Amino acid sequence: MSSLADALESRRIILCVGSGGVGKTTTAAALAVEAARRGRRTAVLTVDPSHRLKDALGLSALAGRPSRVSLAGIGARGAHLDALLLDVKRTFDELVRTLATTPEQARAVLENRLYQNLSGTLAGTAEYMAVEQVYRLAAEGGYDLLVVDTPPARHAVDFLDAPRRLANLLDSRAFAILKNPTSILPAAGSRLAQLLLAAVLRGLERFTGIGLVREVGEFVGLIEVMTGALRERVRAVGALLTSDRTMPLLVTAPEPRLVAETEALVRALGAIGLSIQGIVVNRALARATFGRGAPDPGLPDGVPGALAARLAASYRELRALGARQEATLAPLVESARAPVLAEVPLLATDPGSLADLAAIARHLFPGSGRAAAVGV
Amino acid sequence: MTPGVPPRLPLASQRLVVVTGKGGVGKTTVTAALAHAATAGGRRVLAVEVGRGPLGLLLGGTRLGSAPMRVTAGLAAASLEPEVLLGDFVEGVLRFRILARRLLESTSFQVLAAAAPGLGEFLVLHRLLGWVEARRRGRPVYDLVVVDAPASGHSLPLLAAPHTLGALARLGPVAELLARIQRLIADPGATLVCVVTTPEELAVRETVELHRELAGRLGLAVAPPIVNALPRRRFTAGDAAALDRLEAASGPHPYLRAARFQLERRRQADAQLTALRRALGAAPVRLPFLFGAPDAPAGVAALAAELARAAGLAA
Repeated sequence: MSSLADALESRRIILCVGSGGVGKTTTAAALAVEAARRGRRTAVLTVDPSHRLKDALGLSALAGRPSRVSLAGIGARGAHLDALLLDVKRTFDELVRTLATTPEQARAVLENRLYQNLSGTLAGTAEYMAVEQVYRLAAEGGYDLLVVDTPPARHAVDFLDAPRRLANLLDSRAFAILKNPTSILPAAGSRLAQLLLAAVLRGLERFTGIGLVREVGEFVGLIEVMTGALRERVRAVGALLTSDRTMPLLVTAPEPRLVAETEALVRALGAIGLSIQGIVVNRALARATFGRGAPDPGLPDGVPGALAARLAASYRELRALGARQEATLAPLVESARAPVLAEVPLLATDPGSLADLAAIARHLFPGSGRAAAVGV
Repeated sequence: MTPGVPPRLPLASQRLVVVTGKGGVGKTTVTAALAHAATAGGRRVLAVEVGRGPLGLLLGGTRLGSAPMRVTAGLAAASLEPEVLLGDFVEGVLRFRILARRLLESTSFQVLAAAAPGLGEFLVLHRLLGWVEARRRGRPVYDLVVVDAPASGHSLPLLAAPHTLGALARLGPVAELLARIQRLIADPGATLVCVVTTPEELAVRETVELHRELAGRLGLAVAPPIVNALPRRRFTAGDAAALDRLEAASGPHPYLRAARFQLERRRQADAQLTALRRALGAAPVRLPFLFGAPDAPAGVAALAAELARAAGLAA
């Protein structure tokens, strides 16, 4: 059976995907803590941790550099866990330095005004750089396992599809045309499109008064010398993501808004050859206590009258929430077409320490016989 | 509304309200509720979402398109897709519809769109300006346009677009349009930005940063933050001791578990409310956590009533 415990043992990469606000970062951190505790050399790459989680992982230091997390406090003295923050700009800069043939060339790109403006916006480069950082860690970090918290992309899939899109961009005629918009290449079939593009570019310049085309051309010219190496790199990164050593794990919560988002995510992942292999459900109320089929035990004995009404009302509210969650979870799991591997209860407080993460891990790995975090 | 106390959400005279916030905090639900509150207060409202989202669903199941459609008396809604706007814009520049289509299908054009900083944002603002300025028989078609803007990370570029582009385009028809857009969104009597958050650490931190950027750097009128999904205060600190005694007497019990959870959640939320007030110096507008479905019509109506109170509008 495919379980989270197997995944920790056999996979190289666990990709936590899902919508914003479902506890992806926390789940990734808890999985990483458990993997390290089980003796795997582990790194967790996070995107936007809370202050408390950042402190717990010792991430107050420089972004992009691995920081060693000591698990001695939770009884795992020899465990190897590194934590890193995603750093798009820095990864992009490092990539330019890696691919440039001379230091001068690298400097020319890094100092180009458009590189500085565009490095975050050009057709998914931010997403690509996240994947690039994963690749770098997998190839050079010396880790057994990487747990990756995917960035809050407009569509989660942008991140995973980034290598292919960047490769397409490099291969597109637009690149050649942007470099020199007035040169119309006599390529078969697409001459019309190219003529049009040149016309529109000129029209846009006249209309907007923006001297855009020339500047873009200079930028493209600068990085074109690197595109051969970049193309190779992008292919390797794409292959790593879709290999069977990588496990896409859906992190979600039983909230109505997530049903449609999950459907869209699964469809988009499928289109790029990835399928979700397991689900972690966060923020779940205990079904045995608050689910639709749970018995109502009635008020406990000896409750004073004024408190009794409020106790009953608060219990009714959680029952309503429990019913809503059950109604939401079924279609969610169905659209993900993957098994629920773990449920983590709705916790009253945000996790802020390694002990909290270890307590969450006990919900993710219930067989381990230790006390789990108390939730509802 | 208490006489003499200004409403915390001045919706009564505003022409454009832009709603933003971290993803997942209930931005779209709040947009729908704001639209309903203003409509109930007698204003003719157009609710707009940027990109394809759940706004139509929240407003009662309408499938929204790029042209405003009627939802109820006094309320219309539309959905703006930057890609469609880009298409319209290119057709306008190029004048040959078929050729424009052909061009838009090619990957080449995506490069251009990505390379032109702020082009997509400009097109969205341009359309909004058109709706704010639209008049029929001498009066505005819409008294108020409420926009469900992209989440924080993307809403800042949207509202900063006139700045960004203005620096690039100094002459020509676009420069003139940019100036008109800038006049509208920088006019505190016309445009209000609302940041929605939940009482959770990450969302509150992002709200404080966004609020400072919008009000400080861009100089826009920003409403007090709207705190959504605030757990009700069901129990007092004094109750906690009573709960302890009951638990000691009769052991674990689902009713006590529920109570303890609600107590703890509210305590956490209060800490975040305090942090928010301290950072921004403004008392937030509060919307309750709904245990049923917050995105069902009844949920939206309940939130609309709360917002109408904060806005000093009769709902």
